[in-house]
Amino acid sequence: MDITKDKRGDVTLLAIKGRLDASTANKLEEKLLTSIDGGERRLALDCSQLDYISSAGLRVLLLAVKRVTGVNGKIVLYALKDQIKEVFDIVGFSSLFPSFATQEEALRSCDQ
Amino acid sequence: MNEQMSILFKNTLSEIERLGQVVEEFAALHHLPPPLAFEINVALEEILTNVISYGYDDSNEHDIIVRLSCNEGEVTAEVEDDGRPFNPLGAAEPDTNKLLEERPVGGLGIHLVRKLMDRVEYRRPQGKNLLMMKKRIPTV
Repeated sequence: MDITKDKRGDVTLLAIKGRLDASTANKLEEKLLTSIDGGERRLALDCSQLDYISSAGLRVLLLAVKRVTGVNGKIVLYALKDQIKEVFDIVGFSSLFPSFATQEEALRSCDQ
Repeated sequence: MNEQMSILFKNTLSEIERLGQVVEEFAALHHLPPPLAFEINVALEEILTNVISYGYDDSNEHDIIVRLSCNEGEVTAEVEDDGRPFNPLGAAEPDTNKLLEERPVGGLGIHLVRKLMDRVEYRRPQGKNLLMMKKRIPTV
């Protein structure tokens, strides 16, 4: 699982590529929490190459959204594959994470 | 093809990557649709992770057996371990309508298992934990 970081204005873009499972979730946790603790408040996660997510990955996302919400920040997701969306719907994450089809829409929502 | 795949895993989280490969192999062998393979992978990963994380009172190496089979349009996935008596289904259902601040971090995985699989059953035959899951192969 690879994570690439970029910036668009004051929005941090993190692209999560590959599988987010119990053996890779720690890597994302470290990246997300370090970013948030480092002052980044607007995070947009590019999920276009996210192939798999299990509860380990969900747990990391939940931790991150709690952390960022605590400092009045925001995490949005975009370009989720259908399977990932299915998992999100089952655990009720769709209401916790604004999700968009494109990066453009995701960035626009971060401006609001 | 009715044969059963039986794979041994060690009780360490680094084995989760191999679980993904095994499920992919099984799915390819039986021409299972990718969404079904994904769901089986997620459910199995959850059970295996719970066994690895909470199933043992010692710090020894243990073998966990995962069995996969297809029979009459249904996939059966089993996880058998020799750890302490532990039923991962004992976890309470998370309230998926709760507000963010009230959501506990745990409990998501078993919820996923119950929702993704058609049938989930725990047994304790002869001192082993046996978690069995079944899912119908979609005909569309």
